[in-house]
Amino acid sequence: MNAPFYKFDYFNADVSLIIAFVIGIAFGIALEKGGFGKATILTSQFYFTNMRVLKVMFTAIVTAMLGLYFLSVMGFVDLSLVYLTPTNLLPMAVGGLVAGLGFIIGGYCPGTSMVAVATGKLDAMVFVVGMIFGIFVFGEMFPAIESFFNSSDMGTITLPAYFNLPYGLVVFFVVLMAIGAFAAAEWGEKKMAAKTGKEII
Amino acid sequence: MKKFWSNLSLNKKLALIAAILGVIAIFAGNPYGGTTLKVNEKDIALSTVGNSDKIAVTDLADWIIKNKSDFELIDLRSEDKFNEYTIPGARNIPLKQIPSSDLLRNQKIILFSDDNIAAAQGWFILKSKNYKGVYILDGGLEAWKDKVLFPKAPSSGSKEDLAQFEKMKEVAKYFGGEAQTDGTVSEIKQQIKLPTPDVNTQKTTAPTGKKKKREGC
Repeated sequence: MNAPFYKFDYFNADVSLIIAFVIGIAFGIALEKGGFGKATILTSQFYFTNMRVLKVMFTAIVTAMLGLYFLSVMGFVDLSLVYLTPTNLLPMAVGGLVAGLGFIIGGYCPGTSMVAVATGKLDAMVFVVGMIFGIFVFGEMFPAIESFFNSSDMGTITLPAYFNLPYGLVVFFVVLMAIGAFAAAEWGEKKMAAKTGKEII
Repeated sequence: MKKFWSNLSLNKKLALIAAILGVIAIFAGNPYGGTTLKVNEKDIALSTVGNSDKIAVTDLADWIIKNKSDFELIDLRSEDKFNEYTIPGARNIPLKQIPSSDLLRNQKIILFSDDNIAAAQGWFILKSKNYKGVYILDGGLEAWKDKVLFPKAPSSGSKEDLAQFEKMKEVAKYFGGEAQTDGTVSEIKQQIKLPTPDVNTQKTTAPTGKKKKREGC
């Protein structure tokens, strides 16, 4: 038995949609349980008063990375069949900034806005309408920005390949980075709490 | 140690586990090597040049007669062809099923098809999947027919050749074939009915439980 299951034809496209639905529901529950269904959590991240988002994201990254890494080292997952998004450095940086602004203003990321809609939050519904409108505008203006969209194409690269480092070493560095970020976040939260005189949520 | 562990908060426990896994990762190697094919070109080139990856049909016939069971004989052709005729003791695994076959890596595997090509392809697939003892039956079923089932009388009749041919006659008879004493073998071959597999497959059930390691070849 080998993963990714879909790539190895363990199920067809229809079944994959059902599986995606089940995983999506589970993901939504995890986001809601993590408190991401509240706009204040995400915005406070950007004011450095509550670093929960950073902690959850880094935990997810480290868990997924260690899991994928060790499963593939054991031969269970064929990493070469896992889809990697091609990197276009400059457009991705600009797009990331635009999306980040949207996060701060709206208080949601695309995924958490759906979670908040599911729990009946009005602001999230407005957010989703705005997101769909943004997608529409992007689609309409795409011909004008197409050359920029495709610029600085680096192909599908990974950190180990780009820096020519052993894969396991990069895994170790990312773990170190996560632990460092955790420690810094906890320290920062205490500082900010002392400054604002408020206890973090 | 136990006390140290239970004194940690959940976050610290998880961080510690992640750190340990991260340290192990430094030494665990490249994940892309896990399921992708690994090929040792040098090994393959050497065995190809030295012909150490091929087994002569006459040797195989000898082994079957001596009831050796330290190898697994694999017929890579389609099931229909396999049912029509196969070498006694062979198991049918069509080439396209080879990558997902249940063959064991510690077995001595002899592949054959009609000729060398499919066998060589299967050989390469198994080699790249890290099978060690994979061999090609040189010349495949065609060679089996020509040299074992219907051997030709040697044109130059040196004593040694003739003695060898007498032996081959016996071997041919054993497998239900017949030695050809006059020249045009390839034409005659068409007329002669291939022995039916039932006659010859008594040995297919030869016990494979005990596997002797055979070195060389």
